[in-house]
Amino acid sequence: MRNVGIIGIGYTPVFVSKRKEVNIPEMISEAVDAGFQNTGLTPADIDAMVFGNMHTFEGVNLPHLWAAEHIRSLGKPVMRIATGGTTGMAAFHAGYYHVASGMADVVMVVTYEKHSEGDAQVGLMGIITPEVMTMLAAGIDVTGGSGMGAIGGGSAGGISFQASSYLYHSGAGIEHIDEQAALERRNAAKNPYAHLKDPEATAEKIAQTPLVSWPIRFGHICPTTDGATVCILASEEKAAKLADKVAWVLSVANCASDATTANLIESQITDPAEHLPAIIASKQAYERAGIVDPKKEIDYVEIYNGFAHQTLMYLEKIGMCEVGEAHKLQEAGELEMNGRCPVNASGGVVSTNSIGTSALNRVTEAALQVLGQAGEHQVEKDVHTALAHGWGGLMQYVTITILGDKPKKA
Amino acid sequence: MDNKVAIVGFNMASALDLETTRERLSFDLTRGLFDDLGIERDDVGTFIICTNDFLDGRTISNVFLDPSVGAYMKDESKVEMDGLNALTYACMRILSGQYETALVATLALTGTQVSPYLHIGYTLDASYDRPIKLLNELSAAALEARSYLAKYGYSEELLDDIALQDLANAARNPNQARRLEGVSKDQIAGSAYLYEPLRELHCYPATDGGCMMLLASEKRAKELCDKPVWIKGIGRSTDNYYLGDRDLSGSISASQAAERAMGMAGIKDPRKELDFAEISSLFAHQEPLLAEAMGLLEPGKAAEAYKSGDTAIDGKLPINPSGGPLGGHPICSSGLMRAAEAVLQLRGEAGKNQVEKADVALAHGQDGVCAQQSVVVVLGT
Amino acid sequence: MEETKIVNGAWELSTFHFPIEGRGLKTMLKNMKDKKLVGFKCPQCGMVYMPGPFYCRKCFIRIDDEAEVSDHGEIMTFTIGYADVRGNPLDEPRIAPVVKLDGCDSWIMGVLEGVKPEDVHVGMRVKVKWAEERTGSLQDMQYFLPE
Repeated sequence: MRNVGIIGIGYTPVFVSKRKEVNIPEMISEAVDAGFQNTGLTPADIDAMVFGNMHTFEGVNLPHLWAAEHIRSLGKPVMRIATGGTTGMAAFHAGYYHVASGMADVVMVVTYEKHSEGDAQVGLMGIITPEVMTMLAAGIDVTGGSGMGAIGGGSAGGISFQASSYLYHSGAGIEHIDEQAALERRNAAKNPYAHLKDPEATAEKIAQTPLVSWPIRFGHICPTTDGATVCILASEEKAAKLADKVAWVLSVANCASDATTANLIESQITDPAEHLPAIIASKQAYERAGIVDPKKEIDYVEIYNGFAHQTLMYLEKIGMCEVGEAHKLQEAGELEMNGRCPVNASGGVVSTNSIGTSALNRVTEAALQVLGQAGEHQVEKDVHTALAHGWGGLMQYVTITILGDKPKKA
Repeated sequence: MDNKVAIVGFNMASALDLETTRERLSFDLTRGLFDDLGIERDDVGTFIICTNDFLDGRTISNVFLDPSVGAYMKDESKVEMDGLNALTYACMRILSGQYETALVATLALTGTQVSPYLHIGYTLDASYDRPIKLLNELSAAALEARSYLAKYGYSEELLDDIALQDLANAARNPNQARRLEGVSKDQIAGSAYLYEPLRELHCYPATDGGCMMLLASEKRAKELCDKPVWIKGIGRSTDNYYLGDRDLSGSISASQAAERAMGMAGIKDPRKELDFAEISSLFAHQEPLLAEAMGLLEPGKAAEAYKSGDTAIDGKLPINPSGGPLGGHPICSSGLMRAAEAVLQLRGEAGKNQVEKADVALAHGQDGVCAQQSVVVVLGT
Repeated sequence: MEETKIVNGAWELSTFHFPIEGRGLKTMLKNMKDKKLVGFKCPQCGMVYMPGPFYCRKCFIRIDDEAEVSDHGEIMTFTIGYADVRGNPLDEPRIAPVVKLDGCDSWIMGVLEGVKPEDVHVGMRVKVKWAEERTGSLQDMQYFLPE
């Protein structure tokens, strides 16, 4: 297999709630331009492109067609990848396979979401509209008052079931979720491309936000963000010519289970907190990267945490600590930027969620740490190997990417 | 990419109304394919699903399809384009050396939509083309048809000739959805105008369908089947979005994609070296238009070619011996079905539509309005 | 920066009609009239699903065997709702458990009554409270009660 490296990253200048002054293709082109400016490459250097977002959120089908000129894709192969929350990393993996297969040497991965132009709740509801309509016809109580299948969890939906199950199995408390949210909002304050920033965030402050559905509070939940991210991948040979520093892809893996909690028509068999796909995908990724003990060999982790408990939960699932240990690492300060197991120095998804980019931002942020280019949010310890994680669908997809500062030996 | 990845098997269904659910269709087709090949889902390394959220009316349209194509606890991803792009991705995954086998699963129940040709409307610029309401898939195709006919001074009769050849081929093909027994030129010329010059029988019908295809590495392919069909070359390209920026009488995306695919396959003279072509021509005029762009027909000679039978099953270079998308166009599956039909020909299993010499073939797929994107795959025995 | 225009548009779900898999739900509803819970069992691995799909996710074979499931079970996870689906605060917090019924491998969501929010826990045993008059609706199973 050919070695593949990240040779460039481009973000929109800001990640905020509403980018009213630009439309969808204009906003995407800002990130594409940044990618070219940061690397000194031109569109002629790009062999192929991969594009991803969740298009039902904005109501534009196949937006890579509309944005063709803006992403400089004329005359180029473009592949559209969409897998829900994991879209960004699924697109990254497609870019990786473009190069690893030898079908392309330099690939640009483009992802975006412009939540302000659509309705994320309508978009999310769109996953299960027919199922809910069927259940309504069968007597479901849409207000959640009585009967089977009653929509529990309110607006936080199945996520609160996951969080509740995580707390039970790990022995952590809601205060650990509060602290994780606070920690990441503090980290976000140091990241120019983060959305919700609060240098003064504390667990106490988060604890004051209203409970939506126990144990999930308003303060644990990600925002909806407008933003775009691009990532440029190259073969070893091309990377040597085009870039001074490269974050190498050591492995990629991903796993799908059945739709959890929301599959109202055909029952669910997967525990959303056991999250077998995360265990399977991470094991596969370690094996492919030649990593034997992730606790010792992985220096930095970016977790896709639309909800704050997920940082802790997934650290356990991917084997960065034992079950029940993540919140203890947090108590000991190890998850902080100067800790032994720094995680989400970027502020995570809980601080910034332009959903199509969110899983790709985990990769690009992990790459910045490997490259030592994260600026104010660069973690204290040396980062030789980093892991990026994404989840999506109805809590059923998990994607993993492992990056290193040296290419994998053949 | 000489003989590194092969198509080892496929299972497809196509009908105007399949009267089934997405889960049932995908399970039945996949199970059928596994039974044909004598494999189980654990024998599949990776799964590439290919569906469209706007077509299915669902956000993350693969959410409920992973288990029903056998991808429970497996590696899966989703390409949201024509199925030949999903084939391309599956091929890359095998070429990388990471996987030995890949299942490409494409699916669309067009009947889910109240009106056909709708999902392409959602691709239009939301702030300009959509509110103006002039542009839709049909009106754009009509503009393209006029532009092509005018370029060479052809009459509308050419559209009837093309449609007749395709629909007659489709009528003999049990895999097609629209099979019009004894279809005649008068019947086509008498069908209603949808957008002048395009009549109903010049346009693809709204079609339900799915196609599951298993790809394998050289080693696995030889273990799994007697007649592997090799993927010799793949090319893709993208054209401008705004129709006003394009020359609608030709197709840049198709010519670039074909050039790349044939370059990879080492084909220098497609008219001589290719034995037949399966083209995603959604409307009658697109067949010669795309064939010219890909170097399969001499520019300006389309009318003669169709009159003389050069493009027929027993002609010099048969085009769409399966009947092509005029016989059925399940969106997302359509391009992959072109490849599947090519595989049947290359294996000598195309029945009444069998082309006499079938060793090297071209399959084409498209996305967007008037083939803004094209994907071309060269296949061989 | 020039002034931006906002154009309204919609992705209309009313332009779709969805074919939905219905056997599992139909079988379940029909039997609920008689206070029975019926799912489907995979003949190969023995997994019992309710509502039952027509195939087994693990074995990838068709399943057609019905299997009765107990109306007693165990809470696998739960949440306490403080707001409705639109985000409006509720008068009383509401307990929503996910329950694994005895003899069934899949989980169902419902409502839990007869216990204070602070006393609910994972692993708690619960039973179904059936409606007095049952009509073959999801409302026949009114809520769960502690065993």
